[in-house]
Amino acid sequence: MITIQQAQVGYHTTLIDIAQLALPAGQIYALIGRNGSGKSTLLQTLIGQLPLRAGSISVGAFTLEELQKNAALRAKQVSFVASMFTGVEALTLRAYVSLGRVPHLGAFGRLQATDLQFVDKVLQVLNLCDLAQKDTRKLSDGERQLASLARAIVQDTPLMVLDEPASFLDYFNRELLLDQLQHWVQQKPERSAVFSSHDIDLCLQKGIPILVLHQQKLTLLAKPTKQEVMALL
Amino acid sequence: MKQRNILLLFLVGMLLLLLSWMHLFVLQQEQGTYSSLIFWEFQVPRLLSALLAGGGLSLSGLLMQNLFQNPMAGPYVLGINSGASLFISLLILGAAPSFLNELSYVSAAMTGAFLAASFMFVVSKRVQNTQSLLVIGLMFASFTGAIEAVLQSFAAPEQVKQLFIWNMGSLQQMSAAQAPWLGTITVFGMATTLFLVKGLNAMVLGDAHALQLGIKVKQLKIVILFVTALLAGSITAYCGPIAFVGLAIPNLARALLKTQDHLLLILFSVVAGSFFLVAIDVLILLLDPWMTIPVNVLTAVIGAPYVAYLMLRQR
Repeated sequence: MITIQQAQVGYHTTLIDIAQLALPAGQIYALIGRNGSGKSTLLQTLIGQLPLRAGSISVGAFTLEELQKNAALRAKQVSFVASMFTGVEALTLRAYVSLGRVPHLGAFGRLQATDLQFVDKVLQVLNLCDLAQKDTRKLSDGERQLASLARAIVQDTPLMVLDEPASFLDYFNRELLLDQLQHWVQQKPERSAVFSSHDIDLCLQKGIPILVLHQQKLTLLAKPTKQEVMALL
Repeated sequence: MKQRNILLLFLVGMLLLLLSWMHLFVLQQEQGTYSSLIFWEFQVPRLLSALLAGGGLSLSGLLMQNLFQNPMAGPYVLGINSGASLFISLLILGAAPSFLNELSYVSAAMTGAFLAASFMFVVSKRVQNTQSLLVIGLMFASFTGAIEAVLQSFAAPEQVKQLFIWNMGSLQQMSAAQAPWLGTITVFGMATTLFLVKGLNAMVLGDAHALQLGIKVKQLKIVILFVTALLAGSITAYCGPIAFVGLAIPNLARALLKTQDHLLLILFSVVAGSFFLVAIDVLILLLDPWMTIPVNVLTAVIGAPYVAYLMLRQR
């Protein structure tokens, strides 16, 4: 559950102004907007990386301010999939995905058997098992994008925020991503996910609620049609 | 995969023990007769120098590569040794002889190392690519070198000679009385890094990601800077600037172990770094009847081509 009140979002000037908005848990939300409309800025705010200029946003039981002050707490509440991961030398895909468990590990960062089982299960669901031991630098952009999703899934947080998570994926993997996200939010009642996308048609086809961001305004369409979306853009 | 790495670590550890024994043996042969005084006052400190400097420098290199997110970082190429060197020159030339003791020596080197590391860290934020940082490191080193040269023109010949010898880098300078100091400082630095493993692992993905994974990035970076200066500074104080170990060994560790798990990388870097420097010293001892080679010459002969190879492979 995300609650937004009188929030002003932006770096130096207010880019988005949201009077009031509630996003109930148990759903995934597609954030649609034109280039430069501030989608990434809004997402950066939601993950606590960018402070609000005014107003308040709460994620579950915590306000963004509380989460910003406490990195360890935030890591257990919000996971983030960046639009691009370029890979790291000598870091295998499985090791990369396993880093999602970091917030749940002890001081020495050792993975327990249960952590590894969890990681392997997620790799299997996303068809990444064959690539598990491959260097993340040698993967394709799409493979790395799926790996980033896997990393966020094993982080096991109530909120997942994704910045254009499908930009490098082929048609089949785009469907897989949305199906897996929908499956993921339904596994626990407190879960929700927000992702930015340009793929309006696929989101409509899957019946995903759409957040339209246009000219500083954010509008939630719970059961959108193409006309409604287009009218707002 | 993991078992293979642990086996490899164990193997290099065993080889290190064997080599350390060989080091003492070769040194013994050179000496001719056994004397317990020479053994404890000369042979053991020399072996300890090689062990501690090798392990400590390669660990500080690993930490710097993580901090700068640059596989080409290291205490020597980024001018950390130069910072320590400058402050030691200032101390030797500027301070009264009565003030020249263990504590002032090591603190001067560590202060210089810490300032140099902090300076390079601030600069690194403005530099986009891997190679530019190295160029700036080299400029920094030649700048401090120039200041040292100016300072030396005011110095007495005896002081200049002392500095010249120290600047060559050597494993024979540390006395038996100094060994416990360097040992304690280095082991403390190494033990501290073991508590940083989780953060170091996450930092591999960059600051923003590490923060998102709950790591207190700012605090971690300050601790890394401090430990790096502690290790590189104290080792430079006792052994002079020793090149390439800190850059080359962690790269070798990643290439051999094919992992970014810093627990393994830390352990392997320490053991392999010690192994490398002891091996170099054994080679120096074996060649001694024919020629006297400074330690830096041999580390450069092996290290410089390897670093060049790494740069080329970086595309």
